Amino acid sequence: MEVLEEPPISLDKALKMYRVIDEDGNPVGPEPSIPDKLLIDMYTYMVRARILDSWLLKLQRMGRVALHAPNKGQEAASVGATLALEGRDWLFPSYRELGALLVRGMSEEEILDRALTTIDDPLKGSDFAIYGHRKYNIVPAPVPVANQLPHAVGAALAAKIMGDDIVTMTFFGDGSTSRGDFHAALNFAGVFKAPVVFVNQNNQWAISVPVKRQTAAPTIAVKGVAYGVPGIRVDGNDVLAVYTTALEAVDRARRGEGPTLIEAVTYRLGPHTTADDPDRYRSRSEVEEWERREPIRRFRLYLEKKGILGPGDAEEIYRTWESRIEETVVKVLDKPPLPPEVILEDVYSKPTWNLVEQMRELEESIKLLKELGVEVE
Amino acid sequence: MAVVQVKLPDIGEGIAEGEIQKWLVKEGDTVKRFQPIVEVLTAKATVEIPSPYSGRVVRILASEGETVRVGQPIIEIETSDASPKTVEEAAEKSVEAEVEHVAGQEPRGKPVQRVRAPPSVRLLARRLGVDLSKVKGTGPRGIITKRDVLAYAEQAKSVEETVDEEERIPLKGIKKIMAERMKLAKTTIPHAYVVEEVDVTELLEVREKLKKLAEEKGVKLTLLPFIIKAAVKAIKEYPLINSSLDEEKGEIIVKKTINVGIAVDTSQGLVVPVIKDAGSKGLFQIAREVRELASKAREGRLSLDEVTGSTFSISNYGAIGGILGIPVVNPPEAAILGVARVRREPRLVNGSLAERSLVYLTLSFDHRILEGGYATRFLVRVKELLENPILLLAGEGELD
Repeated sequence: MEVLEEPPISLDKALKMYRVIDEDGNPVGPEPSIPDKLLIDMYTYMVRARILDSWLLKLQRMGRVALHAPNKGQEAASVGATLALEGRDWLFPSYRELGALLVRGMSEEEILDRALTTIDDPLKGSDFAIYGHRKYNIVPAPVPVANQLPHAVGAALAAKIMGDDIVTMTFFGDGSTSRGDFHAALNFAGVFKAPVVFVNQNNQWAISVPVKRQTAAPTIAVKGVAYGVPGIRVDGNDVLAVYTTALEAVDRARRGEGPTLIEAVTYRLGPHTTADDPDRYRSRSEVEEWERREPIRRFRLYLEKKGILGPGDAEEIYRTWESRIEETVVKVLDKPPLPPEVILEDVYSKPTWNLVEQMRELEESIKLLKELGVEVE
Repeated sequence: MAVVQVKLPDIGEGIAEGEIQKWLVKEGDTVKRFQPIVEVLTAKATVEIPSPYSGRVVRILASEGETVRVGQPIIEIETSDASPKTVEEAAEKSVEAEVEHVAGQEPRGKPVQRVRAPPSVRLLARRLGVDLSKVKGTGPRGIITKRDVLAYAEQAKSVEETVDEEERIPLKGIKKIMAERMKLAKTTIPHAYVVEEVDVTELLEVREKLKKLAEEKGVKLTLLPFIIKAAVKAIKEYPLINSSLDEEKGEIIVKKTINVGIAVDTSQGLVVPVIKDAGSKGLFQIAREVRELASKAREGRLSLDEVTGSTFSISNYGAIGGILGIPVVNPPEAAILGVARVRREPRLVNGSLAERSLVYLTLSFDHRILEGGYATRFLVRVKELLENPILLLAGEGELD
């Protein structure tokens, strides 16, 4: 019987889960050497993402934000992976990466301007509520899942052809891996060695579909192997594991060695979106189990054990950002909304007749509603 | 401090209503802005609604278990942190919510008459020049179909010429006022009419004789001043002509001063300048004012004072033509006198035919105020005065 050659890509890394710290913040192996300041930044980004997330949920419940996809529990994956990028790199997020936006430089105010579609929203209320900002090389997230994967591959290949020293990174969920776009993107990226990093946030649930109904493969990362793309499974709630893995993947891409598929094993602690009730499809005990593993608490315990955060420092960071973000929320709530005519902008250089007709109908409707004393927003 | 109503917010994705599960505050409680105040069960999930204001809970408007619509007020909060604008908005919102609640219908867009047609039908309509707002849709929920547009176009063909030649003139300015006042007159005043033929042959002879004198006084004497004079004189004997109706109190208001409105046809539309206190003015003075007001009206120079306060009106349409017209009462007056064109016709005078000058006078009147007999007697008196100029002009200062 012929002995098969060992595959060039490690199956081991795709099947076993890499982690730096355990649920209680204790190191489980060698620790990467990361400057203290960056460690505190990592922590702060996660805290900011958590606070902003809870505000977006509240603002949705007040009728001020149309829809929000809660991030709670997934902060380490988006913050850790994005910190591996350089400013010139491009991000192709999904709709659950507040941490990634903050790391790229978007402020809470800029995110809230988008979410509340105020007069300062640069995208004028278009696309999915929150994500995307040209200034920070963030491409707006499409609502259909996995669409951004081929985009990220295309952009990476373009950069490669142009000789630009640019890496792209894209985020997507476990549900996305069942879509054709996932196949096309990984296959293409593998064949042409596109400088792209695929970050799969395997948060266990695609709305109400559990990951075991999503794929019969033992892990998501192992799927990369078949495309000739290294797949690495990491504890997505361990920010250090995500960061070090992403750093390596970004370096590889930059060196011209091609794409990496990172599976960050995490858990969505909140509902899929503000229109979802997870209690209908998953048990409270499952959620409680994952709450013990949530990323912010465990990283805080690690930093405290290492003495990087002193007693009360974590609370201080939380309180500082809580009041700053509340101030920002109050400020943004007072901003005027976008005027209705922006609906027609940025599609055709000259609006077509049917759009003009629709705009006229809209204006008439608004006028009539105002005459009737009905509030128009 | 102001009390504002908080309504169930639009919590997205087609949520139209929710059931109040549990109040997290009670009346009298102090709440902070963004503090969860109520749990609401929607078709999708149970959600906690945060308070938009800090303040004190005055009243809870929806009880637990009650289903409330998006936009319906659920709680009243006394707050000082709402800016006046916010308070105003909140008040507006509550009005809106009430309206919706009473109507019990879809809140948004409902009052607007919208054209429902798919793009292909809109394109067809454009090609055929069909105005979709005029087409009745026979599709589901009133959607206009291709067949509807084609049928409309077919039917419109027969009247195409007129449709093509239509011009739409906006109703504005004096025209708009006329439209409103005439609508008011014809919808609130039960009109009745009486017509008399007046022989003004002798009156015109008198006018000829007075012409020189008038010219000396710088006045051009037409028939109208005589008619105004006759009407005013008759009103003194029939004062109810110079009155108006206070419907609310159920009283007739008899005016002591006679201000005569003169309907003038201008390029802008109908204007009614007023000769104030015509009862105390002589013939020449009236003639002078008629001319002055008419020219001001045509030049658009009338002051507000000169077009308000009439108590009785005269329409001298006969200056243009028409052997008989029926004017509309100028609200809130009780009557209007219409003067037709003077005709030269043969009439029997003392048993032999003679050429006479004749004019129809119409009295249109508010039948709530005046009986037909009273109005007719008044008109007959006007006729007598005009047919016997000596009666009309005899008296101290009548000529002045």
